[in-house]
Amino acid sequence: MSNVIDIPIIARGRIILPGEGDAVEYKGRGGATFRSADPHKHIHDLVLGNPVLLGDLRDTPTRDIVDFLAEAGKRLRLEDNVHLQESFALALQAGGLAEPILRGVYDDLPRMFDPNGLTALVDSTIGIAYLDGWVPAKEPHANVSLRAVGTRQLHITAGNVPVVAALTIVRAALTKSDVLIKSPSNDPLTANAIARTLIELDAEHPVTRHIAVAYWKGGDEAMESQIVRPSRIDKITAWGGMSSVQHIQKFLSPGIDLTALNPKYSMSMIGKEALESEQVMEEAATGIAVISGFYNQTACANTRIVYVESETDDESLERVIALGRKILAAYQKLPPVISTPAAARNKELDAELDAIALDEDFYHVEGDTLNGGFVVSRFSDRIDFYGQLNNRVVNLVPMPNILDVAQWCDDSTQTVGVYPESLRGRVLDTLSLAGVQRIVPLKGGDPMHIFEDMHRLPPGMPHDGIEPMRRSVRWVIDHRPAEEAAVRLSVAAE
Amino acid sequence: MSISLPADNPAAWTYRRFEDLVSIPREERETLQLEAVRINFARMRGRIPALKKLAERQGVETIDRIEDILPVCFDHRVLKNYPLQIIENRDFPKLTQWLDKLTAHDLTRIDLTGLTTIEEWLGRLEAFGMLVTYSSGTTGKLSFVPRSYDEYGPWKFHFFNVNRVCSGVDAYVTKLPTFFPGYRGGYQTMLKMMSLFNVEMAGGDENYHTLYDTHIPADLMALSGRMQSAEDKGEIGRLGLDPALLEQRKTMLEQGRRRDQDMEMWFARLIQEFKGRRVKIGGTFSDLYRVARSGLDKGLRCEFAPGSILMGGGGMKGYKDAPDDWEDQVKYFFGINKMGNQYGFSECIGNAPMCEAGFFHFPPYSVPILMDQDGKAMPREGVQTGRLVLVDPIPTSYWGGFTSGDEVTMHWEDDCDCGWKGPHAAKTIRRFAEKEGGDDKITCAGSQQAYNEFMEFVAGDA
Repeated sequence: MSNVIDIPIIARGRIILPGEGDAVEYKGRGGATFRSADPHKHIHDLVLGNPVLLGDLRDTPTRDIVDFLAEAGKRLRLEDNVHLQESFALALQAGGLAEPILRGVYDDLPRMFDPNGLTALVDSTIGIAYLDGWVPAKEPHANVSLRAVGTRQLHITAGNVPVVAALTIVRAALTKSDVLIKSPSNDPLTANAIARTLIELDAEHPVTRHIAVAYWKGGDEAMESQIVRPSRIDKITAWGGMSSVQHIQKFLSPGIDLTALNPKYSMSMIGKEALESEQVMEEAATGIAVISGFYNQTACANTRIVYVESETDDESLERVIALGRKILAAYQKLPPVISTPAAARNKELDAELDAIALDEDFYHVEGDTLNGGFVVSRFSDRIDFYGQLNNRVVNLVPMPNILDVAQWCDDSTQTVGVYPESLRGRVLDTLSLAGVQRIVPLKGGDPMHIFEDMHRLPPGMPHDGIEPMRRSVRWVIDHRPAEEAAVRLSVAAE
Repeated sequence: MSISLPADNPAAWTYRRFEDLVSIPREERETLQLEAVRINFARMRGRIPALKKLAERQGVETIDRIEDILPVCFDHRVLKNYPLQIIENRDFPKLTQWLDKLTAHDLTRIDLTGLTTIEEWLGRLEAFGMLVTYSSGTTGKLSFVPRSYDEYGPWKFHFFNVNRVCSGVDAYVTKLPTFFPGYRGGYQTMLKMMSLFNVEMAGGDENYHTLYDTHIPADLMALSGRMQSAEDKGEIGRLGLDPALLEQRKTMLEQGRRRDQDMEMWFARLIQEFKGRRVKIGGTFSDLYRVARSGLDKGLRCEFAPGSILMGGGGMKGYKDAPDDWEDQVKYFFGINKMGNQYGFSECIGNAPMCEAGFFHFPPYSVPILMDQDGKAMPREGVQTGRLVLVDPIPTSYWGGFTSGDEVTMHWEDDCDCGWKGPHAAKTIRRFAEKEGGDDKITCAGSQQAYNEFMEFVAGDA
């Protein structure tokens, strides 16, 4: 394919298209060529050099911001939004997610802009009062007030799941912040499409006036040295951790706060009760199939390694292999909106699987990278290439003492699925100390129900163990003389 | 008229002059190669358990066309498909049992009592008649080539032969004092070849000069990642390693930090001492360039006698970041206007010397096949770029068919300006990678690359 797709720069309510003498091309995924206006010529359109210009957003009540986002949400419907259709087509071409899954993700966009959800999100994380005004502390400190003030942010977003783009825009608007989004090459259009929808709704709205979106190649020093300066950026959020900040790192200096959303790696833990009957084994297998298979195992929350409470003798391992076969069968029954067979083989992973399949003393391999597969370790350790597990291939590791799993947990261990629930109490506190950030249920046996259950969280819950919204504002203290507060209070009392 | 070569004994081909081997007309050569591969596969299929398993899985019984061999070539990962845990636990029975599946020799007969290190294990294997060497890739995991003394003869004949055509000096007759800016001894493939062949070529140990007279033990190479993470957690004591090994690690780290200065001082001394004499200088391209650059910066040039030799090694390392004229700078500094160069992998005996025209020519006992993205054989005609598979029909103790991770551009016609016939690869060789890739794809999933101080400092160019 040699089609050229124009990706405009979005600059605070303006759309800058590539044009005569102002165009650069770059290679995208899936053989596409992208063309955009030269970002080097638009540095000043991308950054907000003067933070005081955030005054318009500061003076916009949160309620208005929520209403504006909610109005935009109504227009973020794939069926009638041409920008989203374009971004959808491109994401599909990039090949990260299968069509039904991607459609499900896009169909979910309006829900992310639901006014009740947005209000709860901002109120539970920061508190609307703190964003809209100064909030005095409790007596006897009422002379000290606190306000959450918006900042100038650079977001280097991940492209494997397009919700990241929506999440970034919502979080920035709700924190009354100015945001520059550096798009990833594997999803160059979603943030763009949302921003263009906002422009069509109201190009002069303060939210619209504080969103910029551009693509440049990570590591472009001319770009990054211009942007990443304490005079232009207060906060950086980097998805993908080191791989995305390794270039920018050299420009980091005190005054720029970095939130590195590290690459994450997730797993499941299965108690010995799950191997006791065919029926419970089925239920466990369905849970594992959902948590490892949703979004076709492209997300950080997807299980890649399954630790099973089991001895390592041949008879015990046969039960673990039986569980693997049930997982494989469960993949085939997942609804397409959750998971589908892979569009293409993963050749690197296939080569690894083929190599270890030659030696049955250590591993048992079944399945493939098209329909899903599993590797049973015949001893208590994960495979050496666990970092490459993808395409719905999991590694089942027998653990005589399930708590030994803690040795492999650290900050990169994000989500842990547990089954049965009776295992939870035995592992919860140890896993928390070991670095794990989220422990989710696998029970139920119904894929849609399990999927929804593990994703249904109250608004504003922590992300990767931290609270990104609270961290992305500046908490400013207005400390007045004590007697003035007394006067204020007495006035208020009258 | 071309020479007569027996298809059922390709080891004997290595006894011939390289020039004669690359003079065989194409049709004759390809018929001979197919026959040799056919015979070797038929002989080895039932004798190497891992090959037998792969052949059964792929349903390959016989080889009728050379492409038929592709499905039964070992991916380079096969030589390291053991669980890292058995190295960490120094479980030598399991490690031996693993290696046993890759060789025709019966390793179950080896007495493994008293072994505590991988180095000792490799020594025990050698005493049994094996010649197992290892290499370590970017992950640090060791891959073992299960060669034995059965291949020693052809390996040596080939090595001397190829070095003669690269340098113009016959090492059987002319012994040149040799400098190598690296380690000495041990079982790392290049270092083992040094002990087996290069020292003899130089005329003995006293004529072979290395930067250090020790080497990094295989144990340190294999466990470096594990030791680093244990050290981070403050648990290095729990690994149960020999205190001597920990001490060695410290020494190696220190040595690694001073390596550049050591190398410059060492070369400076040799350059003075051997002024006006004929010498041979070997090393990785990056080391040779580093020495040359530092010398040139000080306004120095070497004054060795005419007929001295420069020999680059260590694969293509150092090619990437060097300036375009690095090779000229190296030649200018050493005062030697030809630099020998070879390409190959440790799994195959027949590496390819570079000709006058700048191409790597494969001897007939290294049968190249190119594979496309989908693993299909590419046409053996014209000029093609693909993933290199090499089939070596010589070994009788291990299977010689290997799929590499290298992308090469192969010229298939007998049209090289140098006059040598046979398939020849262009100088630029890259890692074979998926071609479809955005510039900087970012995802939230993945494991963090553990930063590995030890490998960084010490093993970079070993």
